[in-house]
Order: sequence, then structure tokens, then C-alpha cells
Amino acid sequence: MTADSGALAGTPTSVRTPTSARTPTSARTPLISGTTAIAGIGATEFSKDSGRSELKLAVEAVRAALDDAGLSPADVDGLVTFSMDASAEIAVAREVGAGELTFFSLIGYGGGAACATVHQAAMAVATGAANVVVCYRALNERSGRRFGQVSVDAVRAVNSAGLDNGWHYPMGLATPAATVAMAARHYMHAFGATSADFGAVAVADRKHAATNPSAWFYQRPITLDEHQQSRWICEPLRLLDCCQETDGGVAVVVTSLDRARSLKKAPVVISAAAQGSGPNQYTMTSYYSGDLTGLPEMGVVARQLWSQARLRPADIRTAVLYDHFTPYVLMQLEELGFCPRGEARNFIAGGAIELGGALPLNPHGGQLGEGYLHGMNGIAEAVRQVRGSSVNQVPGDGPVLVTAGTGVPTSGLILSPA
Amino acid sequence: MTTRAEEPSAPTRSAGEQRTGEQRTGEQRTGEQSAMILATAQKIRAAGPSSPRFARDPVNLPAIRNWTDAIGDANPLYTDAEFAARSVHRELVAPPAMVQVWTMPGLQPPSGAGTGADPLGQMMRALDEAGFTAVVATNCAQTYHRYLRHHELLSLRSELTDVSGPKRTALGDGWFVTTRNTWYSGDELVAEMDWRVLKFRPAATAPPATAAGPATTARSATTARSATTARSATTAGSATTAPPMRPPVSADTEFFWAGTRAGELRIQRCGECGALRHPPGPACLSCGALRNQGYQVAAGTGTVYSYVVHRHPPVPGKRLPIIVALVELAEGPRVMAELTGAEPDEVYIGMPVRTRFIPIDDDLVLPGWQPDEQAGPTESAPTESAPTESAPPGGALPEWTLRVTPTVVVAAAIATRDFYPVHHDRDFAEQGGGKDIFLNILTTTGLVQRYVTDWAGPAALVRAVSIRLGVPCYAGDTLRFAGRVTDDAGPDGRDRVIAVTGSCSLGNHVTGTVRLAAAGSTA
Repeated sequence: MTADSGALAGTPTSVRTPTSARTPTSARTPLISGTTAIAGIGATEFSKDSGRSELKLAVEAVRAALDDAGLSPADVDGLVTFSMDASAEIAVAREVGAGELTFFSLIGYGGGAACATVHQAAMAVATGAANVVVCYRALNERSGRRFGQVSVDAVRAVNSAGLDNGWHYPMGLATPAATVAMAARHYMHAFGATSADFGAVAVADRKHAATNPSAWFYQRPITLDEHQQSRWICEPLRLLDCCQETDGGVAVVVTSLDRARSLKKAPVVISAAAQGSGPNQYTMTSYYSGDLTGLPEMGVVARQLWSQARLRPADIRTAVLYDHFTPYVLMQLEELGFCPRGEARNFIAGGAIELGGALPLNPHGGQLGEGYLHGMNGIAEAVRQVRGSSVNQVPGDGPVLVTAGTGVPTSGLILSPA
Repeated sequence: MTTRAEEPSAPTRSAGEQRTGEQRTGEQRTGEQSAMILATAQKIRAAGPSSPRFARDPVNLPAIRNWTDAIGDANPLYTDAEFAARSVHRELVAPPAMVQVWTMPGLQPPSGAGTGADPLGQMMRALDEAGFTAVVATNCAQTYHRYLRHHELLSLRSELTDVSGPKRTALGDGWFVTTRNTWYSGDELVAEMDWRVLKFRPAATAPPATAAGPATTARSATTARSATTARSATTAGSATTAPPMRPPVSADTEFFWAGTRAGELRIQRCGECGALRHPPGPACLSCGALRNQGYQVAAGTGTVYSYVVHRHPPVPGKRLPIIVALVELAEGPRVMAELTGAEPDEVYIGMPVRTRFIPIDDDLVLPGWQPDEQAGPTESAPTESAPTESAPPGGALPEWTLRVTPTVVVAAAIATRDFYPVHHDRDFAEQGGGKDIFLNILTTTGLVQRYVTDWAGPAALVRAVSIRLGVPCYAGDTLRFAGRVTDDAGPDGRDRVIAVTGSCSLGNHVTGTVRLAAAGSTA
């Protein structure tokens, strides 16, 4: 497959929805649903000290993803990453060896951008803005800037983000764990959830990572007792409620379903892709309305995903739910409709979210077990699950759901076999 | 007149560090000088009380208004004639803590008036000549026999009661001089005051870590030697790591931070529809209006909606662990702030809390929370009933934070008719070793009274205020008052004595007591 032969292959054959029609979410029929696909995934190793630049990690991941897809750098005409990423699209394009770009985009809100990079890429492909878009994220999050530490820079700028942080950081609520702990405390109060319920998520992640050679915690499972013995970080969160800090890079290649069919790997269809921001939204601190027991922005994503894909929660074979901190996995299960509100602690009991359970979550080990790649490694795992190539394969051929960062404006995907 | 072994005044560092002059080098000469000072003191004391010195003006409303404005005392007893008419006083009265104001010499005292016959003035001059040129007021204990009405013309008699020294204090070697002052209205004794100053020889070396506030009555051209180095040491002690984080401020949010500096928790209020919102922003979240966005001052009470106990990693400017609480205000909006005054296992969702203010530096005051021990039965607005009835011994008063701006310092100095330049002239204050202009003791007395009567309500009757000064409170600092009801029932066994402390960035500025009459007492 060369750049020339695929130049127009991604152009949709018809435009089905007038852009002026402000139809309800449930009635939308987006261009991207079922017309675009993930054709390749790539990653570096996941470590605590990569020993190389974030740009180099990005280039390695992008090249690996293109190799996986059977595409060359010259095929790439679009790049998408996180606004938090240190490596600009043009820098990655230069180093990868891509030529002209017709689409480049940055997504904000930290890990909430993960699935949104694919969403952007799919929209670009579906509209003909680009044909082959690579989504990437590379970071030295352990050896370089550690997100779990207090970022003084986050309250330096007089912009809306700095101003928002100004209501929390100076008061001492200044880390991601603390912001999640605040919501988790109220969730526990409202529904009777316990630290052990959060621990069940950690145990499942570590169990899955233990059989994933790419995972940092390969062959190192934990027990619930170990979770309960781990030290407090920010009560009610313990150390083992918190994800890892990881160096590494991940990339995902998006193109049209038609073009993907002619590539090296079986296409992984993007059945649904959506972003979501809730009313009165803040970044990690949406504390000023609502009841602090859910993730309204994930509810916005969920409604779109089910509508676009014409699926129900019961159809999902396995889900990769963003797990930087365990409490938000419980809330996501509720927002996504896998269980009623307040019922997640019962839903996950008895190993239901472990391999072999009713809804295995994060078969790769998640960000607690495999690595913290800002959610991008979860997309890669979802692709492997659809392809049937995961080391922890969940049986069946049903769709796979992936979510992005929680507590922030976020995004989600449903991926299916062609 | 003797040199006492123990002097209970503020500026001494500790009993162990106090030495008599005879122990120091040059003891012979010092001994002679001490003998002369004591002899002078003996002579002044033997002369007894001074002849009456009359106030320039009778008790009057304009002077009272200047004082209540400067102190920020909104007690209607002093300025609202209708309220006062319904009170036990039946008419407007003067704030008790103003008593000294009426007889202050003022900016242009009549020539020859008072100074010669004033025992304190005479003693000050003797000590000036002996090289003890600087002065600080250290103690003020006022007892009020009744409230003063408008048009009463007061006279003051003053008597030297004690001179002790020399003492080695944190400020330098000096003498404590105590006078007893009595105010009369006609022939009626209306108030008394024991007043103590330290007259000292300024230390030639680095300024001490603590210092008393300079005195206000002696108008001799002396130097007020005050702390200049303590501030950095104090603030360093409160932050074990990096400097505290500061909030960015925009045109939409600056009212909030101006509010915390003023000791107010300001919540954005839409002038169009009345809706409240927090955090603030340019628009009303309810009706969408962009114009007419103002604020209201929250009552400062609420309940914990959620909270965390942060233990790791370090947070700049905080000593971990800290409790951070999201509080739902009584008015509705939620506000995030650090919660202090409770252990982690004492905090719970639904816990009543009350706002406090945490001064960080000259520009930043953070909101904070503390347990609201008065929540529940007494949460209603101040009433005319005397709450001392329901305040049990040991009960804490809500904290009160006052931003001591230069305006506060100057306005209050002038309202108390104290024109000593250290309270209005920064250059003068700095030449004396001070960091800036600072509060005078008459103001501190007034603030202590206000703190207690704000809590007790306008019906409370103030019988006595007794304070001891610690470190100076400079312009730009923040005074934080705390108090509790003691089990002291006063001389007649029916009063309530409130213990008060006022601290600023340098440490304790004032400690003292306010005695309130039992409810139903006559004025």
C-alpha cells in the first residue's frame, strides 16, 4: 500500500447527516460509526526509566504502529496527540519521515484525550480531511515529570485552567489522587462502598498484569489484604489504589474501513467514538454541582457510544476502563450502564471483573498493572482483544469498550471486528 | 519602690534570663544610677495622685463614630439611637474601651498642661536622662464602673504605683513603670486603669525576636525598637517545603481574594436574579447575566460535603497531613479549603464547620475551615439577649481575622487620639527599627473588646478589659483572634470572663481577658 494508491480511499461514499440538523444524541448517526477503523498499534517497552527522549519514544511508537498496519511514514497525512504531550505533531512528522500533513490536532484535558485522539482521527478520515491519521502519546512519566506530584505550574497561569486550579491547589488539594479521593469519599458515604471495594479493582488489574509479559507488574499479583495494608496516600485512597508511573509511548493508526481491509492486519472497526463534558465541568474538580457520586462527563460519552453503535452494555465482551485510581472504575461501571447507580461494589464482587468473570475489565492489567500510558495502552489492548491477539484473550467476538481519563472531560470508543 | 525579683510583663524573655543590674559589668555605676531612678520614683510616688486633667471635649458622637469606624465595631449601642433607647442604657453610650481616648493629650496639647504634673511624664523624663530612651506599653487593665453617656466631661487623675528595674528584656535593659489612672465624671469614679510601660535602652545589636508594642501616651522623642527579623523566621517555620502556592487572580475573581484579605468569605451573587455561585466567573450560571455580578458575604457556616486527608506527596507550604474539605455553605454553594482544628478521625461528612482565614503573606489570605462548636442551638443571628447565659465555661468563641491594613493602623491611631508617629509615619517607624507602622495599644484594647461584644451581642455589658501586649502588629499583617469562656465568674461571682488571644505573623500580639456582666445587670 502506497500513499498514492490510497489517496482517496478514506473518503466516505456518501454524506448521511446534514450538519445543520441538531438532532438529539440518541438519533445521531455519525459519519464515523462503522466507516473507520484502527489498522495498526505500536508501543515501546513500558519502563521506569526509558533512557531516551519523549520525542524518540513517540517516533518509535508511531513507526511500530505503521509497521503493524503495513503502512509507511509517507502514508501518514494526519497526526493527533494530547495537548499535554511534549512532542508536537510536526516534530513527530519530521522524525518519523512523514511528508505533508493535512490534519493535525491536539486534545486537551489530560488522560481524557486518549480515546478522543481516535475520535478526532476518525472524524478527519470520515470527512476526507486526512486518510491515514496516527494518534500517539509518549511520556517519561516516571523518570521525567511525575503527574502524581504537585504541579506548581498548574496554578501559575491566569487562564481558565490556572484559575480553576486556584480554588484547590493553594488550599492543599493539589494532586490527582487528592482530587479523586474527594469524590471517592462522598461516593463511599452515599453508597456504602469501602476501601476493599476499591481494592477489588486493583486485585483484578494486578491479576491480569501478572500474565502479561509487557506489564510492569508481570508475575506480581496482589491480594486484597496487601491492598488493605498499603499506606494511605490521600485518604480514602491507598497506594495500591493509584496507578503506576511509567515511561513509554503508544501509537494507533486510524484510516477508513475500506482502506483498512486491504492492510496487513484485520481491521478493528470504530463502532462508536465520542467525547463528553458534563454541566459545570472542571478538570478533576467538578465538585460544585451534582451529588459527587458519578462522572457526568462519562455519562455523556456513554449515551453517545450506545447510540452510535446501537449496542447495549450486555453486548460488551470486555471493557478497558480508565484506571488511574480505582474508585472511578466503580463509578464508570455505573455511568456506562453496566450496573445501577451505587451498585458497582456488588457488581464487581466475586471476581466478576476478573478474567473468567461476567465482565472482565482491563485484561492487559490496566494502568495499575501494565503501565500508565495516559490511557493509550488501553486502546491498544482493546484492539488486541478485537483481533483475538491478546495474551489475556477474553473469549468471543463481541465488541470491546474503552474509556479515557475520568474526572476530566473525557472520551470513549467501542471497537468491533469487521 | 523596690526591684522585684519577678516581673510578669511581656517583653522579658524568661525568668532565667532576667538579671538585676548588679550582676552586670559596670555594676557600681549601674547601682548608683538605679538608686537615683528609684529615688526619683519614690519622690514622684510620694506626691500622690496628680491633679485632675480634664478631657478637651466631652463624650461625643463624632468621636465615637470615628472610633467605631476605625475599629470596625458595628454595635448599635454606640451609634443607633433607637436601638440604644430600647437598651438597658436607654440612650446612646460610648464604647467602654474608649475611656482612655477622652483624656488623650492629642496632637496639640495645651502648653504646659498636664505634662509637668503628670507622674508618668515625670518618670519618663527621669529615665530618658538615664539613657532609657525608648518606650513600649506592655499592660493595660481597664475596669469600667458604668457606661459613659454623651456630654459627660471626664477628668483623669494619675498616680505612679510602681517602678521596677533594671530588667534585661528582649528589647534591651529597662524599667517597668506602672501607673494607676482614674477617670471621673464630676465627682463620680467611672473607670480605672492600671497601665504599665517598659522604658528601655535600645539594644545596640540585632533586634530581638519578640517585642512589645510601643507605648502611646508618653510623647517623649524616644525610639521604639521593634522586631525586624522575626517575620522571616516565623513564616519559615510554618512552611517546611517550598513556598505556598498562590491562586491566579482575574477580574472575575479578585473580589473573592480581596474578601479573604478583609476577613470575609465573599460569594458571587447575581444582581439580576439573586443566584449564588462559587467558584466565581463572569456570568451568572442561573440566568446567564453578564452584568451586575456582585457578591454577598457568606455567614461562614456550613457542613462538610466531602473531605480528604492528604498524606503524600508533599504540598508546597503545607505541613502534612492536612485535611481538605469541600464544604456546603449555609447559603448553598460549595467551597474548598483546608480544615484545621480537628483530627482526621474527628471529621465526618455533615460536620458543621465555620470559616476562618489563613494569612499567607501581605497579599494572600486563604479561606479555611474549623469545627463549628456553636452550630445548632446558637446558630441564629446575634440577638439582643445576652448569649453569655448559654455560653458554657470552656466554650470557644469563633475565630475572627482582621486584615491590619495601613488604613486600619492610621485611622485607629487617630480615632484614639494617639499621634505618636510610629502609628502613622512609616519612615519614623522604620528609623526606630520597626518594619512598618503598627497598631497602638488603645486600638488593640478596642479590638479585643469588639471581638468579644461581636460574639456576645449588643446587650452584653463590658465590665473590664485587661490586656498584655506581646509582639507588635505591623501594617500589612493579619490579626487572628481566638477566645474561650473561662470558669472565672468575676468578683461578684456572676460575671463571665472571656480569655482572648490575638496573634499575628510574629506571634502573640495580645493576650487578655474581657469581663462581661451577667445578663440582666444594670448599666
